Amino acid sequence: MTNLEKLNKIFCEVFSVEESALNNNFDKCNVEGWDSVRQLSLTSSVEDEFDIMLDAEDILEFTSYDNAKAVLAKYDIAL
Amino acid sequence: MAYWEIKNVAVRGVTGTVPNHPVKSAELPYFTQEEADTFDATVGIKNRYIAPNDVCASDLCLDAGERLLAGLGWEKESVDVLLFASVTGDYKTPPTSAILQDRMGLPSSTFVLDVPMGCCGCMYCINVAGNMLSAGTAKRALILVGDTAMRMGNPNDKSRGPLFGDSGTALALEYDPTVADIIIDFNTMGSGYQALMTPHGGYRHPVTPESFVEEDFGNGIIRAPKDALINGMDVFSFAITKPPISVKKMLEKQGLDKDKDVDYFLVHQANKLIVDRLVKKLKLPVEKVPYNLQEFGNLGGASILMLMSSEIGDELTSRPLTLLCSSFGLGLTWGTMLLNTQPMTVLPINKI
Repeated sequence: MTNLEKLNKIFCEVFSVEESALNNNFDKCNVEGWDSVRQLSLTSSVEDEFDIMLDAEDILEFTSYDNAKAVLAKYDIAL
Repeated sequence: MAYWEIKNVAVRGVTGTVPNHPVKSAELPYFTQEEADTFDATVGIKNRYIAPNDVCASDLCLDAGERLLAGLGWEKESVDVLLFASVTGDYKTPPTSAILQDRMGLPSSTFVLDVPMGCCGCMYCINVAGNMLSAGTAKRALILVGDTAMRMGNPNDKSRGPLFGDSGTALALEYDPTVADIIIDFNTMGSGYQALMTPHGGYRHPVTPESFVEEDFGNGIIRAPKDALINGMDVFSFAITKPPISVKKMLEKQGLDKDKDVDYFLVHQANKLIVDRLVKKLKLPVEKVPYNLQEFGNLGGASILMLMSSEIGDELTSRPLTLLCSSFGLGLTWGTMLLNTQPMTVLPINKI
């Protein structure tokens, strides 16, 4: 499984959506149920999957699918 | 920079009381079974005990306090200090600690104080009472910590309601020049006060009809200005950054090896996401970090005392322990406390 597939799988599981829903508009404002618990659940899963420890500010930045990819790039996770 | 070193004070006993009304996540009105399952798995709080509306934190604390005094065999006349840590006291005035002095039949010479410091309440009380006992002029203190936090919020606020449980706990401290110092590192960041607050009901914003007007903030967050609120991401950001620095500082300053010198790390049971993160960030040995949030939820200031009662009671009773406690909460305030205990009285948790 590629890193992108791993990331997509996490998003799909946390938000109970199909992979096709993941696009540029998949963010905190547009996704029903994107609350702090979901966001923390998302970041925890990402940390476990990629074996990284996100800084607090990066966790706060995890407010969209695009941002998630940008944050992972900071940790040298190639997508 | 204050670093509290409290001499000559021993912990003699601890216990806790909860209302006999367990509520599973799926029983909460705003959760579907699927949502409850997700909440249980991520936030980790599967059960909480909720007091009926006619039971106050003081009632739960009264039960814990009375049982603890009896278990220790302490005469009521011997109690010099009574502290009550809660953000859900009986009235706005007078202090609930004064009412409890009367209800418990403690002598009129008892020094009483309310400590409305939220999730750090237990640590504040140990600091205040400990420093009062340290000189030996006062010999015994009873610390009562409890809340009925569920009622502080809006019953339809899905972001806050499922996190909390109700309880009352009691801790007994006594002057004893033979014991190790209690060490506390305390910190305050008042600039973050809006992360955890009740906007209306004080004198800045007294209760008016507007205080009861509910607003829908989306994602199941419905509340009015009279209701306590949590800004989840702000609290999380605070909780995963500040307390670990304080814990690390305590370990370094005391020359403690986290793997060898500490028996248990007692972390405020805010929720599993936060506690897990602290464990991970500090690389704490997981077997030394007990959890009880799955059973009790976030008990605010009583969290550490309930951990002592529910998770490590047998060991506290039978052998000396080195405990490193971490609390964090409203204010925003946070602290780390090093507690070297001698065998003490730990009574079973009571359900009333």
